[in-house]
Formats: sequence, C-alpha cells, structure tokens
Amino acid sequence: MNDRDIDQMKCILDALDKAGLKGTILFDVPSTQFVKVNLMLLRGLCMERGLPGMFISVDRPHQYMVHLLTMHQIKADRLIYIDAISRFSADCKVAAANVGFVDGPFHIDRLPEAMSKWGESSNGRSMSFSDCEFAIIDNLSALLTYNNFNSVELFLKNFVTAVEVSGKIRVPLIIDSEKYGLLYETAKKMCKGELHINSVAPPLAPGAEPTPKNITSINFCRR
Amino acid sequence: MMADNILNERSKRPGLVRLPTGIPGLDDMIEGGLPFPSVVLVSGTAGTGKTTFSLKYLCEGAKRGEQGLYFTTLSEPTQWMLRYASQFDFINKDYFGDSIVYMDLGNLMREVDANQLLATMEEKIAEVVPQRIVIDPITVIGGMLKGDYRLFLFDLFNRLKNWNATTLVTGEVNPGELYPPEVSYAVDGIILLQLSEEAGTRRKYLEVLKMRGTNHLTGRQSIDITRTEGIVVLKARF
Repeated sequence: MNDRDIDQMKCILDALDKAGLKGTILFDVPSTQFVKVNLMLLRGLCMERGLPGMFISVDRPHQYMVHLLTMHQIKADRLIYIDAISRFSADCKVAAANVGFVDGPFHIDRLPEAMSKWGESSNGRSMSFSDCEFAIIDNLSALLTYNNFNSVELFLKNFVTAVEVSGKIRVPLIIDSEKYGLLYETAKKMCKGELHINSVAPPLAPGAEPTPKNITSINFCRR
Repeated sequence: MMADNILNERSKRPGLVRLPTGIPGLDDMIEGGLPFPSVVLVSGTAGTGKTTFSLKYLCEGAKRGEQGLYFTTLSEPTQWMLRYASQFDFINKDYFGDSIVYMDLGNLMREVDANQLLATMEEKIAEVVPQRIVIDPITVIGGMLKGDYRLFLFDLFNRLKNWNATTLVTGEVNPGELYPPEVSYAVDGIILLQLSEEAGTRRKYLEVLKMRGTNHLTGRQSIDITRTEGIVVLKARF
C-alpha cells in the first residue's frame, strides 16, 4: 500500500467513526478496485482499530487475501476466514490462517450455518461470529454467478438481520453500483449508510477541501 | 412461464466486468474490453505491435485510475524501453514508476527454478495490487526456465486470475505460426497480430481468435500503428 492508499484508508475509517454506526454500510466501489478496498479496510479495522473480524471468501480462495495481508505487513491475528470457493477450485496455494470451509458458492444457504459453527471446526482457536466486530464478504456480487438473484437477496436479508441482532458488527458491503445496479439498489434498502469511492479522484471544486481523496460522497441515513 | 423466469433471471445477472484496451476499434469488437479477471495472449511475429499493444493497455488503465504492472523478460532497463515508447503520444512518462510499475525478470529467469520465479512474481503482484498486468514476452521464459514450463504456465495463469487482474501475455512466433500452442491452451483469450505481404507491401492485421464469455467480431481486421494512438483498428465492421 502506498501513501495515497493509506490516506484513503484513514478517510474511510474517520468517516465511519464520525458516523458512529454499527451495522451494514454500503460501499459503492468499481469492480476492479474491490481487492484494494478490501485491503484498506482490513488494514484499518484489524491493525488501526484492533478489531476481531470475519472475512468471507466467495470470489477466490482465502489464501490470496492471507498472502496480500502478509505482503503488506498487516497483522490480522484476530481475523477468521470462511472460504466458500477453495474446495470448488483447483488451486493448491497454501496459507496459514484460521479458516472454515463451506462446500461451494452454490450453497449460500449454508453460509450462515458455517459462520455460526466456525468455532467448532477451527482447531480449538475458537472465535464465533458473535465475537466478531466486523465482517467482509469478498464479494457479494460474485454470488450471482452461482445463485439466482432471489437466493442472493434472501441471503443478504438474513445476513443483515444477523448483523443487526448482534448490535456490534460493522459490515462494509462492497458493490459496484454501475455494474450491479439491481443488487446495489436492493442492498441499499437494507443498509444504514452509503459511501462512494471512485478509481480516479474527481476534480476539486473551487474552495473544496482536498480530502477525502477519491471519495465523492458519504451519505449516512439512519433507517 | 419457465421461459419468462429464465429471461427474468438472466436480466438480473449482469455481464462480465471488462477493461477497455483503449485501442480504437478493438473494444467495440469485444463487447467493450477484455474480461476482468482473465489472461489474454497477444501473439505475433516480430514487429507486429505486441509491445505497443501492451503499453497502450497499461496507459489506458493508468488513465482510468487502475494500477498496472509490467513484467519484461528481456533484461531491458526501464529507460531503454521508455526511449522507444516515448515516441508515442499516448505514453505519459509520469505513469511509469507510479501507476505502471516495471519489473525485469530477465536475470532472475536464468538463476531460479519455476517455483521461485512464480513466488517472486506473486510477491510483486501482492505488493503492487495491479488490476492490469503485462508479461512481455512470455515465450522467452520457456527457453530459459529450469523446470516444467507447461506446469509453470498452468500455475501462473491460474493464480493470475485469482489475483483479480487482467493479464496480457505476449507471445513471439515464427512467420507462418499463429500462436505458441503451449501458451494458448491455458489462456482465456487470443488476439493475433499479423503481417501479410500483399501486392508487394506488408499489411498489418488484428484478429480476435478466442475471447471467453464474449461475443466477439471474427475475421482479420486491418490495423495501422500511428504515433498518436499506437494500434488503430481500421476496418472493423460493427
């Protein structure tokens, strides 16, 4: 991560802190920037804030995020992974992490169960969903490849409900509004706030403050 | 009723994310750009424009705020590459070292085995977090690598897609050959750049031979290489 990324990460964290929100916050991010934004969020939430959390992989094996975190010297000892894709792919990359597996991204109805039972299958390093203070799905729109829209919508509804019941979990829900408009609008109805991140910083209006970089608007609307 | 449900579901499932190449005429031939993530082979004999194609692809990404990573296998220092590339108007030197990171694999390939080379490339990818990667040319690796080249390519391409990037690999072929077969079997797309001698002159062509998940225009299209825009597709029929 370069200085620009770290500045942006701080802006995102500050925005979330100022809003004082727990619950699900919708992040509007271009599809090509999902990995970078996930990396920034994990650095911010794991390292800067020291929060325990859960990372749910449905797009690519969790080992890649473990590798990325290691490369960027992001300590994430209190991060647990639910991997719904590794056993479905031929990838044999290895990484040391606290991970539980779900059979495949076709079975999102089993994800909540896997999350709640994670502690039982984690080689004694118990931490359950209820211990988490944040959860990140990498990435929700990838589920549309394997499931019909109604199933994804139902999963999202159940997931958001579980988060709200816990009362302490933050979920930055990352979706590309341009590419996945219907999913974005569906999620927006369930989220407490909305934050837009662009690939390129828009030109500054005269007299406007130069930060947050690349963040065009932060809109928190308590439901 | 069932047909309605299928159509309704299809309308809720968006198409692939695509990265525009910035090459005039080409993006319209491939539904807007290269699938993201994917690995695409750009194949051609010497002088067909493979490196120009790759540089335009990276510069287009940089213009859009996307990070690029350029692996060269030619042991060519950055300034040497830039010396020629700077003749093109689309090259912005400020991109290099920032939005486009350059790494030379030439010396490393002679010293390490396939696993170590793969690990080094992955370390760089993890450090830079690129959305666009170029390996130019990949065919040089086959001649120098200690170990199984096919297995190396299989692992490399598999992992490149999981790093969430669209990678262009260029392949040098001999006159008369279309593409390097050991590379072509594992890629998601193949774009051919060809020279053809017609009526005493050499004409340049581009053909999209394969592009997974894409309804692409088939057949050879005339191209030109200009200082302003690099490669331009001249006769795409839309």
